[in-house]
Amino acid sequence: MNHGVDTLLVVMLLSCFLLLGASRLAAAVRLTAVQGFMIGLLPLAIEGGELPLRVAILAALIAALKAGVFPWLLMRTVRAARTTHEDRPLIGYGLSMLSGVAAVGAAFWLDARLSFSQDSGATLVVPVAFSVMATGLFLMVGRRTAICQVLGYLTLENGIYIFGLALVSGIPMLIELGVLMDMFVAVFVMGIAIYRISREFDHIDAAQLTSLKG
Amino acid sequence: MLGGSCIYSALAVPAALALGALLRLSTVARLRYLTLGTILSAASALPALLQTWAQGELTAAQGWLRLDALSALHVLLLLLAFVPAAYYAERYFRHAAQAGQFPPQTARRFSALWFGSLTMMMLVLSANNLGLMWVGMEASTLILAFLFCTQITPGSLEAMWKYLLMCSVGMAMAFLGILLIAAATRHTGLPVTTALLWTNLRDASQLLDPALVKAGFLFLVVGFGTKAGLAPLHNWLPDAYSQAPSPVSAISSGCLLNSALYCILRCLPLAEDASGQVGWARGVLVVLGLFSMIVAAGFLLAQRDIKRLLAYSSVEHIGIMATGFGLGGLGTFAALLHMLGHTLAKPLGFFCAGALAQAYGTNDMRRMGGVVRQVPIWGTGFVLALLALMGVAPGVLFLSEFLVLKSAVEQEAWWVVVIYLLALALAFLALLRRVIAIGWNAATPPPEQLPAQPEGRSMQLFVALPLVLILLLGLCLPFGLLHWIQIAADIIGGGA
Repeated sequence: MNHGVDTLLVVMLLSCFLLLGASRLAAAVRLTAVQGFMIGLLPLAIEGGELPLRVAILAALIAALKAGVFPWLLMRTVRAARTTHEDRPLIGYGLSMLSGVAAVGAAFWLDARLSFSQDSGATLVVPVAFSVMATGLFLMVGRRTAICQVLGYLTLENGIYIFGLALVSGIPMLIELGVLMDMFVAVFVMGIAIYRISREFDHIDAAQLTSLKG
Repeated sequence: MLGGSCIYSALAVPAALALGALLRLSTVARLRYLTLGTILSAASALPALLQTWAQGELTAAQGWLRLDALSALHVLLLLLAFVPAAYYAERYFRHAAQAGQFPPQTARRFSALWFGSLTMMMLVLSANNLGLMWVGMEASTLILAFLFCTQITPGSLEAMWKYLLMCSVGMAMAFLGILLIAAATRHTGLPVTTALLWTNLRDASQLLDPALVKAGFLFLVVGFGTKAGLAPLHNWLPDAYSQAPSPVSAISSGCLLNSALYCILRCLPLAEDASGQVGWARGVLVVLGLFSMIVAAGFLLAQRDIKRLLAYSSVEHIGIMATGFGLGGLGTFAALLHMLGHTLAKPLGFFCAGALAQAYGTNDMRRMGGVVRQVPIWGTGFVLALLALMGVAPGVLFLSEFLVLKSAVEQEAWWVVVIYLLALALAFLALLRRVIAIGWNAATPPPEQLPAQPEGRSMQLFVALPLVLILLLGLCLPFGLLHWIQIAADIIGGGA
């Protein structure tokens, strides 16, 4: 595994930490855009020298969607919702970042136990994938604003994508396109949902949506 | 070959109808379009079903699409839920449109998404590639989010958000599971492009890496289990069903839950074969199934909302099915039969509950009473549907619940027997109390807004037909159906 891949993965990890500490929604959206771009570059770096057309097209599509379209959609939602900050997260920023560190440690330990890395030849890919997934889940659980929960979902998907890159090479193009399209629709649907929630309730605090019980 | 093109037409017709639904039509015409279009979609799926019946299996698109007895049975259930639901939607929304709650724009979106979800469910059932199956499932998840939220209210938005988040994470987990199963094929020599075809996985199931398949199966159960409403991942379900329009609740409990379970069933024999037929994967299903039954029974006891009652009953029935599939053998057969019975009874329950809620202007069952006399058709229908869902003899659900029990006794799994009977008894009591109160309690004032004209003969027939089927199937299973379910059960495996 080459230096390019390792560099990208380290940047991914860093962006996860920043995401855990970000309180401005716009900044958090930009961070996921950076992550999306890294995700787009990753298959190119893994392929190294020669570049099959299939990989190139997919990489371009992924980068365009995750670093372009999704952030644009989410930024619009942030503006429409007129909420700029995650004010009182359910889990504080300091504790979030500490948990992030713990998650990275756990990811490396888990990777050593499961011995994925020996098989695929990449030492960093699987632990980073686990850490990114953990970050995503953490954001979905520990944040109040609906936007941050969507960002968590995107991060989770990014983690799964990295995991897939490490474990399975050559998933048929059709499936990859289908997955991408579904993700696109998911973000789109969530954006609309947030927009409607903000119009109906005058806030996008998902922790306050608790009227249905029993 | 004619065979393949049958599957194409079953997929293409609803897809085309979804596009056609974007045309500008009056609301009345659009509702007619919904009914006729759904019937047309069902008709277009029939040739594929018949051919599958005749030949055993049907493939298209170089093996990417495939129908066998198991998926054909699920397609049949899909149509059994969708066609009556569309017919009922026409009545339900005409009522809402008169009250000004169903503007043309909403109607347009609703009908397009209705056919969209039908197409995607069809794709899930006819996909032979696990990846493609996932794509269909995720797409139908997202489409359903909008259908749940057809009428925008604070409640429906909250339910939609909860549903979106829970099921999106669930679907992500399921995808992880599929990746793990793909990774497990490394030593089988299957080329990567076709490794995820279910038929290939089945043929090579002995060679799969057991640890990876086990991990993958767990993720798949968590992921699709969220969608199927297995406890403790069921939280979104009562919220969504109580806030959604009744036809949508009907299709999702009548076939969506089944389809999610179907995705797990496809992976069950793989996990069992790879882990050496020791019953590990089945055990997972039994535990989740029994837990769902117990949790649902608890919530049923305290339930006051008529639609939430039905939603928790869905959780209970999914639990019964999961237990049956987990027991294997006779249990698998019983669970498939139970699925059929549930798909007949549950949508009917939602239809009647929706009509009652419209008549009384509330979902609160404490404010409904004596419905058998006051709203005769829907009231009687609701009471009888609930009785069928309780598993009262001689309905088909009684037969299937009894067979699951028999299977557990035969295997001498006594703890399963005890928990299963306990949960069934609790749920029975909870529903019985409700049935008596809502059916014959004359103390409650009659509904303020009784339907303007009494329902005609067609509605009587509409309510009676599923009930008659439930009764007849409970009394005697036609040989063709019996044989069909038997073959489907053999595909899931576990020895018959």
